[in-house]
Amino acid sequence: MRSVNYVQRVSLDFTGTLFPHAICLGDADNDSLNELVVGDTSGKLLVYKNDDSKPWITRTCVGMLTCVAVGDVCNRGKNFVVAVGAEGWFHLFDLTAATANKADSSSQHELMYSDDQKPLFTQHIPANTKVLLISDIDGDGRCELVVGYTDRVVRAFRWEDASDSSDAGSGQLVLLKKWLLEGQVDSLSVNPGPEGLPELMVSQPGCGYAILLCSWTQQDSSGSEEEAPATPGSDGPSRDVVLHLTTGRIHNKNVSTHLIGSISKGSKEESSKCGLFALCTLDGTLKLMDSSEQLLWSVQVDHQLFALQKLDVTGDGREEVVACAWDGQTYIIDHNRTVVRFQFDENVNAFCAGQYTCKEGKNSPCLVYVSFNHKIYIYWKVELERMESTNLLRVLEEKPEFKSHLKVLGVDPEDPAAVRALVADVLYKDS
Amino acid sequence: MSRESYPFAEDSFSRFPSQSNIYGLCQAGEQDLLAATLKGKVVCFRYQELQQKIRPVAKDVQFTYIPVDAEIVSIDAFNKSPPNRGLVVGITFVKDSGDKATPFLNIYCDYEPGSEFNLESIAQSCLNLELQVTPFQLYHTEVQCDDGGRETVFLLSGHDQRIHLYKENASLHQFEEQPVEKLFPELQPLPSNVLWLDVLSIAGGRRLSAFGCQNGCVGLALVDQTGPEVLESWRFQFDSPVSTVRLFPLNCKNECQRCHHCLLSSGAVHVCVFRDVQERGLSCPAYLSESDQWDAVLCALVIDLDFDGQKEVLLGTYGQALSEKDGQFELQWRRSFKSPLLSIIYLDSTGDGLRELAVLTLKGLHILQHTLTSTADLVLERLAQRVSTLSAGTQLESAKTQDTEEEDPDRIFASLHCATEMQFPQGT
Repeated sequence: MRSVNYVQRVSLDFTGTLFPHAICLGDADNDSLNELVVGDTSGKLLVYKNDDSKPWITRTCVGMLTCVAVGDVCNRGKNFVVAVGAEGWFHLFDLTAATANKADSSSQHELMYSDDQKPLFTQHIPANTKVLLISDIDGDGRCELVVGYTDRVVRAFRWEDASDSSDAGSGQLVLLKKWLLEGQVDSLSVNPGPEGLPELMVSQPGCGYAILLCSWTQQDSSGSEEEAPATPGSDGPSRDVVLHLTTGRIHNKNVSTHLIGSISKGSKEESSKCGLFALCTLDGTLKLMDSSEQLLWSVQVDHQLFALQKLDVTGDGREEVVACAWDGQTYIIDHNRTVVRFQFDENVNAFCAGQYTCKEGKNSPCLVYVSFNHKIYIYWKVELERMESTNLLRVLEEKPEFKSHLKVLGVDPEDPAAVRALVADVLYKDS
Repeated sequence: MSRESYPFAEDSFSRFPSQSNIYGLCQAGEQDLLAATLKGKVVCFRYQELQQKIRPVAKDVQFTYIPVDAEIVSIDAFNKSPPNRGLVVGITFVKDSGDKATPFLNIYCDYEPGSEFNLESIAQSCLNLELQVTPFQLYHTEVQCDDGGRETVFLLSGHDQRIHLYKENASLHQFEEQPVEKLFPELQPLPSNVLWLDVLSIAGGRRLSAFGCQNGCVGLALVDQTGPEVLESWRFQFDSPVSTVRLFPLNCKNECQRCHHCLLSSGAVHVCVFRDVQERGLSCPAYLSESDQWDAVLCALVIDLDFDGQKEVLLGTYGQALSEKDGQFELQWRRSFKSPLLSIIYLDSTGDGLRELAVLTLKGLHILQHTLTSTADLVLERLAQRVSTLSAGTQLESAKTQDTEEEDPDRIFASLHCATEMQFPQGT
């Protein structure tokens, strides 16, 4: 198995502790460059920018932050930062303005903080939050907010602006639906279904997953949404939850499982139908499947995988699956099951991967590790020329003019030793 | 050229179970690498072709007669000089059984026809020699025999301020220690323990021998190989141990003859290049400025890294990174590693005519491959040139352009460099 060593990294100061989902990459201030958003257990929300080891912005939230996300949750065409605490406090921040204010003054810090530090909007939603997703889950082109809970519940909310929407923060979250699942939900994701419509997927223990149906799209007015939560257990895991258990070797039924969907296949048309998604388990199973339940590959590793992400490291438009283990072992696997390993030398508290603007003022693929000794490490140069090892002759063979040159020079292209000698001569004739 | 960008991409990294040292890497045959780790393990690294794919494979080789409590000091390998054939591997180690540490030199070599190059079977046929001294570098070089033939011998430096020579006794099919002064009169007597030795054969049946010592002394000798007879010898004193000595030829602009330069890298002082040592000895040192700013230089290599026919100096250091140089030696690029660099070899491990850099660090072995797309473009461009000269039939012209491409010895671009990030807590 090929393994590489990344060395270009920056370390950020982070003194708190965090939950594994309280970290994300996204464009928090709408400048088209991505920032790192981290929430800690004391309720602090930190936003890091570029290679600055100190947070660019710090905000205080109520309670213990369990998940953060960046997205157009209000459907206003701009990103907001969402931070949700375990106690159920939902915080909405607009950091677009912060850029301008930050540039203005450094001396007036105290004055500024008094007002600007407050979230744009807060609301109390049911407590015991665990994981957050901002995405269009019902195919109406508008984003919904999906929250996974530690009590095996998933709720979907929609932001509704107040009728007299003059103020930016006026409006509220309205519950769309509540799903009750059999097992713990470790990840939420959206994946294009066989018909091309988005499907909300959640991971289920034992390398399983469930598709949650957005029933409001079918029965907009007939069903009362409040009824379903009122009778929990009566119809158990309802028909709105379609559970899938993946086949293969017998899994530990309770092993924690992560999932990520909408893995890009390279071209837009291909990705939009029958989307690819990946699963990983704590006991080291990795799977890539498509939404027609076809297994593309499965990999077994002897490391405890606890985080699953997608990232295009080769720059070919196809996203690779990136899985990280507690001990820092990181697997990058492409669609053809080619594996590249990277060992981060510390135990990992939380992991994420994605586009981030670290250096050079542009987004680049990055791996982000939160260690246990008050540092966050961002590896900002993780691009690989290719996933597989190869040699010069193979690269040359793909070029048609190479063969014709060989013919003219009287070298048999089928004779590797002669071709090798020629290449060596061309490159090192003087040494 | 941007200092951040370097023309290499890491192709693979093999982590070793324990650390190695500056004598821990050698080339075995055309494409294989042998790396020795402290805890008695020897790893063979090669690229294997499996199902149309090239895969880097690092495999433990079980060399016999290396006890479990052995700590390997140095490793070296060579192909026997023709007409003999076969791979010879030498490993020195110290067996520490508690009360007394005993050093050994094991020489592995298979005489069975057909398996002379088979590493697995070579590893099983061992000659076990107990040493009286703590071994340092194990080196090999070709010597001229009395009968005019050539033969490759092991040279082992020890802490007794001597170099020991091991030569094959053809009739007995085994290696034995022979007095070094007979074949290498220049290596006797020595001012201190030799840390690094380099021998280079040059035109006219002569050779240059250079060594760097623990006390900072650098010795150089010009020797006529028939005899052998020391024609001239020089000494130069640094104030810290000399970690690496490299002899390398360089084309001169105005002379048809090659002049020889000697690169020295010293522990704490600058890296220093002595030019034209064949003529001028160690009289004109040229220091690579700022090469002292990045901790001790543990390994160095002089190779043509960018295919322009000019040699570059490649330095591997223990500590921090290097910045720009001015004057004749300029820093072209540098790359950081996670752990200190110990040894560098430039070899064609992928079997495509293009060589790769094998870099041994405390943690393991990195293979850095030239960026293939740009190198492929360069090859195609040069092939096209050849094709056009061939079709034009003007061989003279090509000879002419080659002449103008000859390098100017005062304009060697140099010092690529490899550094480590010290903030990693796992160091040593």
